[in-house]
Amino acid sequence: MAMESDMVQAEMVEAMEFHDLSNRYGVSGVPHTVVNDGKGNVIGAVPETNLMAEIQRAVTR
Amino acid sequence: MERLLNDNIVSQIREAFENLKHPVRVLFFGSKEDCDYCDDTRQLLEEVVAISDVLSLSVYDMEADADLARHFNVSMAPGIVIAAKEGDQITDLGVRMAGIPSGHEFSSLIQDLILVSGRDSGLNPQTREMLKALTKPVLLQVFVTPT
Repeated sequence: MAMESDMVQAEMVEAMEFHDLSNRYGVSGVPHTVVNDGKGNVIGAVPETNLMAEIQRAVTR
Repeated sequence: MERLLNDNIVSQIREAFENLKHPVRVLFFGSKEDCDYCDDTRQLLEEVVAISDVLSLSVYDMEADADLARHFNVSMAPGIVIAAKEGDQITDLGVRMAGIPSGHEFSSLIQDLILVSGRDSGLNPQTREMLKALTKPVLLQVFVTPT
């Protein structure tokens, strides 16, 4: 998704190594995608349309 | 130093890299402070980029190269940026990793390299349109574990 828009940055974070950050977002299962510092959350591996819908919800919040 | 990737894995990766198209520059940001996995991550990346001529690696330090780290939005070490390279031009596509890409996440690293080299996200047309229409910054952080 980052490749398709200059607005988007995508980062894969190793949850065990950065457990303070995972705790902050309440990550308990993986994969867990946090959108804009917690404005949106997607838990589990979901189809791209679901993630896109969550992104759109997060940017309007 | 002992290699992290054995011959069998290297030949599997070489096969996966057969159709790599455009050059990719991997930027590694390490840190001397409190970074248990920096050395292993750097070595892993060195071994991976050695498998294909279209891949190259530059090694930086979070503290010594703080401006560059900021430019690429890297704040955690080890930090990895997978960028497009055209001639001398390095283009940040916003594709990053924080932490060692080992275990299951090693295949994510290989997949990211293939996607960036192909300059094609593989997403469906509707998703691409919606992404292109975004006017506000979006940061996606995908939390994963190696197992």
